[in-house]
Amino acid sequence: MTFRRSAPVTLCLSVIVLVTAMAAVAAMLFTRLTTAVEENQFQLMRAIVETALANASNKALATAELIASLPPTQPLMAGGDRKALLAEFAPMFAIQKARHGVDQAQFHVPPATSVLRLHEPSAFGDDGTASKPMVVAANRDKAPIKGIASARNGPAIFGVAPITDANGRHLGSFEVGIAFGPLLADLKVAYGIDLALFVDGELLREFGKNIAPERLGEDNRVGHYIRLETTNAATMAALVEPSDLAVVTEPVTYTRDADGLVQGVVLIPLTNALGAPLGVIAAARDFGDSRAAWGRSMVWLATMALVVMVLLCGIILIVVRGFVVRPLQVLGEGLVSLANGGPLDPIEGSERFAGELQPFVELYDRVRLRRARAGAPS
Amino acid sequence: MTTAAWPRPLPPSSLRAALLALMLFLSSAVAVPSLARAEPAAAPEMPTDQGFPILVHVGLAMTKLDAFDESGGTFDATVNLRVRWQDMRLAIPGAKPGEAPLTLRQAAAEARLATMWVPPVVLANLKGESEVLATGLRIYPNGWVELMRRTRGSFSTPFTVSRFPFDRQALTIDIATLDEPANILALRFDQSDINFSRPARDLELFGWTIGAIDLTLKPIAAWYNTVNDQVVASLEIARQLGEVAAAIFIPLLASLLIPLLTIWLESVEKGKLQSDPVDLLNINIGGLFAVVALNFTIYTGYVFLSSGDNTVTRLFALNYAVLGVAFLINMVFSRFRVLETAFGPYVQEQAYYFLMWAVPTLVVILAAAFVLTAIV
Repeated sequence: MTFRRSAPVTLCLSVIVLVTAMAAVAAMLFTRLTTAVEENQFQLMRAIVETALANASNKALATAELIASLPPTQPLMAGGDRKALLAEFAPMFAIQKARHGVDQAQFHVPPATSVLRLHEPSAFGDDGTASKPMVVAANRDKAPIKGIASARNGPAIFGVAPITDANGRHLGSFEVGIAFGPLLADLKVAYGIDLALFVDGELLREFGKNIAPERLGEDNRVGHYIRLETTNAATMAALVEPSDLAVVTEPVTYTRDADGLVQGVVLIPLTNALGAPLGVIAAARDFGDSRAAWGRSMVWLATMALVVMVLLCGIILIVVRGFVVRPLQVLGEGLVSLANGGPLDPIEGSERFAGELQPFVELYDRVRLRRARAGAPS
Repeated sequence: MTTAAWPRPLPPSSLRAALLALMLFLSSAVAVPSLARAEPAAAPEMPTDQGFPILVHVGLAMTKLDAFDESGGTFDATVNLRVRWQDMRLAIPGAKPGEAPLTLRQAAAEARLATMWVPPVVLANLKGESEVLATGLRIYPNGWVELMRRTRGSFSTPFTVSRFPFDRQALTIDIATLDEPANILALRFDQSDINFSRPARDLELFGWTIGAIDLTLKPIAAWYNTVNDQVVASLEIARQLGEVAAAIFIPLLASLLIPLLTIWLESVEKGKLQSDPVDLLNINIGGLFAVVALNFTIYTGYVFLSSGDNTVTRLFALNYAVLGVAFLINMVFSRFRVLETAFGPYVQEQAYYFLMWAVPTLVVILAAAFVLTAIV
């Protein structure tokens, strides 16, 4: 082992290890920062969806309570006058449907027998005890209730208000349902988030009698769910696969590449007011900016680390070899030649050698000059 | 018997004024291609029976993409704009649900449009003249109106090449209401509009891969502290690498070798550099001319790359920087022997040996970094 090789290798390896360690720590910090930013994005997406669902259910309940408390409602319900109810509320429902996403509105008598569907006046008299647990609960407890449920027109966000007469006698209930489709489209418009509603296929087949059969077809099947609504079918199909929906009992977050873009996905489980699972809402947002920023940071970090390594190794090599090893090597060769009686040439640039080497240079020069004088012709 | 008097000829000044007015009218008609093309004498009033804002649903499908001028930031396309709104004045009382709509095309549709209120929706980023190829109108019994317009024109689009050649671009079409604030007339899109908004299956653009159309609401500031609604339909396209990589990046990376040659050609013996500095300088100057010529060639063919920060400008900067470094090394080591004078020949020798591998290594690292930052 020579000092010429071992010293620079040791020093350069030390530099490489230290710079790599520092770069790794910096990379970890960048990664944590990016993860925190994306985590905030996930929370924001989840909050947006949950707030929108809560607002929609509040709106549904507010509308239901308003209609239930209107003076004409009580005598018409008490008399079971369907035609008069329809004449009274059909114009109101038309406007609510056209402008406010109200998809369903229905009067019931206990436990959950349909008196009038404003959205489908021809269908009435059926018992919804099995399919309308919220209506059953509202009529049983005589208290308003709100939540998500699946109905003949498909799942919607419902508010159910009890109807009582002036004497406090319970007459029935009024239910308002807000459709998911316009709600998801509004969120896309406002926040640029792509969304999809996945509903349990069995549930839809059992209760969603008015849902167009093509919407329940194989194109929209994702595992045992049906993708009933979406703001971007192609993207959401790439982002949410059957295995993702297999078990969603609490909000799930992940990132996935779709069409060359990294997207952050939040899966939010949907349950009805009684806690039974109904489906999943998936929300996706482009994480390309944060991922690109992370990627660029990593590239520049690695670049800076490599540049620093090269420069520091260069300084080590120049100092160790240029100032110490090479002068020693040249001086050593001269001294070997001196000992062997070989030719003694002047050492080029020896005046610039380090001070510690100058005694050897002077020794060499003295011997060389003495030999030169001794060998010179008189 | 009376005879109708012939109109008297207009004086020349009146004729000029009339011609000027006609030209102004024609130019304004071309400049703002609104849906309400033929403005009736008394414009029908907007439907206020359902309150404000009047909700107007828009969707846009692209049927043809003729060209994308990256230098000018424009693209030529044929698009189908679909606008839907509800006007209860057009509803047919007592109509059965599912009854077929009144469907009109071309002249019949235009004639009907002239007699009814049409939302003032425009394609706001149309540049130059455009041509309406087809018009279709459907009026449903429940008062919903669906207006379809097929328009061919040139659209200006924001365009950034910072990630060239790994860039994805969004060809945007701005659907805006310029006359009414958002609290009077609001643009919306729902599931049906999202499904409608897509590129044609056979849409192609040479050198690019076609993606999907995305709709986003981006209101624009208007007068008196109000906003006008604007829906931006963006067609995502991704650049195909092949041709660009061969035409630009191979010569750009190859030209980096010229200054490196001047470093590698030098030889060192007992701390002394052996080559004539003038020879090395000549190679460097030749390299400079080569890079300048390449610069001119690429920026002439790809004008859009000449401004802003992108991979190509960075690689050109690296080329010039390496030429400068090679020139500096040549001057410091061969011509003026600065290190030899200051620290002796062996420091210069070791410093030069270091530069012989360090400069190429640093060049490779930086070139790779420039390309990688464009990829990620």
